[in-house]
Amino acid sequence: MPVARNRALISILVIAGVVGTSGLFIYWAANSPLQVQRFLVRLVLISLIIFLAILFIRYFALLWFGYLQHTEKTIRGRVISDFAPPVTVIVPAYNEARVLDDAIAALLALEYPTYEVIIVDDGSTDDTTSVARRWEGRSGNAAVRVLTKANGGKATALNTGIAHAKYGFVLCMDADSWIEPQTLHAVMHHFADPSVGAVAGNVKIINREHWLTRLQALEYIEGLNMPRRAQGFIGAVNIVPGPVGVFRIEALEEVGGYDIDTFAEDADLTLKLITAGWKIIYEDSAVTWTQGPTNMLDLIQQRYRWTRGILQAIRKRKQILLRPFPDFPLWLSAIEMAFEGILWPVLNVYAHLFFAIVALLYGMGELLLYWWILLTLLDLVVALITVSMEEESLSLVPYAIIYRFFFILFLDVTKTFAAIEEALNLGMDWGKLRRIALAPGGEDGSR
Amino acid sequence: MNVIDLLITIIVVTILVTIALGVMTYIAYKLRLARRPSQLSDDSSTAQYFVLHEPPDGSEPGEADAT
Repeated sequence: MPVARNRALISILVIAGVVGTSGLFIYWAANSPLQVQRFLVRLVLISLIIFLAILFIRYFALLWFGYLQHTEKTIRGRVISDFAPPVTVIVPAYNEARVLDDAIAALLALEYPTYEVIIVDDGSTDDTTSVARRWEGRSGNAAVRVLTKANGGKATALNTGIAHAKYGFVLCMDADSWIEPQTLHAVMHHFADPSVGAVAGNVKIINREHWLTRLQALEYIEGLNMPRRAQGFIGAVNIVPGPVGVFRIEALEEVGGYDIDTFAEDADLTLKLITAGWKIIYEDSAVTWTQGPTNMLDLIQQRYRWTRGILQAIRKRKQILLRPFPDFPLWLSAIEMAFEGILWPVLNVYAHLFFAIVALLYGMGELLLYWWILLTLLDLVVALITVSMEEESLSLVPYAIIYRFFFILFLDVTKTFAAIEEALNLGMDWGKLRRIALAPGGEDGSR
Repeated sequence: MNVIDLLITIIVVTILVTIALGVMTYIAYKLRLARRPSQLSDDSSTAQYFVLHEPPDGSEPGEADAT
């Protein structure tokens, strides 16, 4: 595997370059003249204030708009609509034999009048096809079909399912996800508005036995679903998540389905739909449970792919970043993606490193301590608000103490290197995550 | 060492260790990728990452796949 080894070598050289440059800077800072040291101290103080200001503004905006979305639904009450057209559910599967049974069982328990399930086996090398074929045929309100194709990636599997769909709406999901029974009912009434092209659902982590997955559970609530709530309120949802996204076939056909040139086909498709003028809605009661990686290597493999995929989707449309009008929601979506994907992770890593080093070198430890206390209190309050709004388990809130200074910082190192590798256009491949079979039913009895 | 100094030490060490852990885990991930067989059987210089699936001529939507 010379290609894989070469890629690994180049990546390691990139890492060495970044670490080496940072180390040289630290050495220079430690041995610089007094005037330079004073300048660095002032720079730290200003940077701390700017960092805090950005954080406060970001949290304030997300919580404010997220709360407006939440109260809007509370005031309107549960929408009662008889708009329930038939739906095709597409399940792309590659070596998912261990988890496919549970996913399909959950699909067949959907509380919806008419739907079909298409399982697209993307050239699996395990028993995925035979597991899928056991479910073929009619079951209650649903018909199950299995398509097989040569391995070509998730995007091609989804496109295959879309091409064979009988109905005018498709729900695209992951084979390791479990959809709540009321999800389709919660989503479909939005499509009574002909301008709605897609509805993004609410993804939650199901396997919370491990401290790492509990941190991811908090991250999904605070870092993914809360921003999506805020985006939904202002009509700028920028990613319809892979585990649960419902689309109007007409919208998909207009934009040509999923492209195969990025590793975040969900982000790429969402931007295509927004560019074409379709409205994207967020529905927080459309809940889907998915597995989070249980070890650090698998976790960063996932986040590495997400980061590079999102950056690839932005790179395809980089001219949008400089044009807020005439399509302001599209510009806002792209800017937010670029900020969260590149700027914030890099700022976060270097800010923390900078503060820690300067605190050590110039005796500013107390300032760092007060800054940490302030941020941790902020994180605890935000965790409490977001967990409460999602009606999730309060046992996740204490994890906010290590959320920023360990979990997010750890992931942002990966995102920083991923952004550098994407900028250098280094090659990559999917890297299959390991799946474990779980019985339906989360740790908190949520299903 | 008083409580304040202890907390400062913990915070600084946590930040530095977390960043170092992130770098080392990333290197370990890259090394794992280098050892793992690629999912694509052919990775030639002209290879694309995905092979586009084209439905056979004459196929119609809604029909079960015969394969």
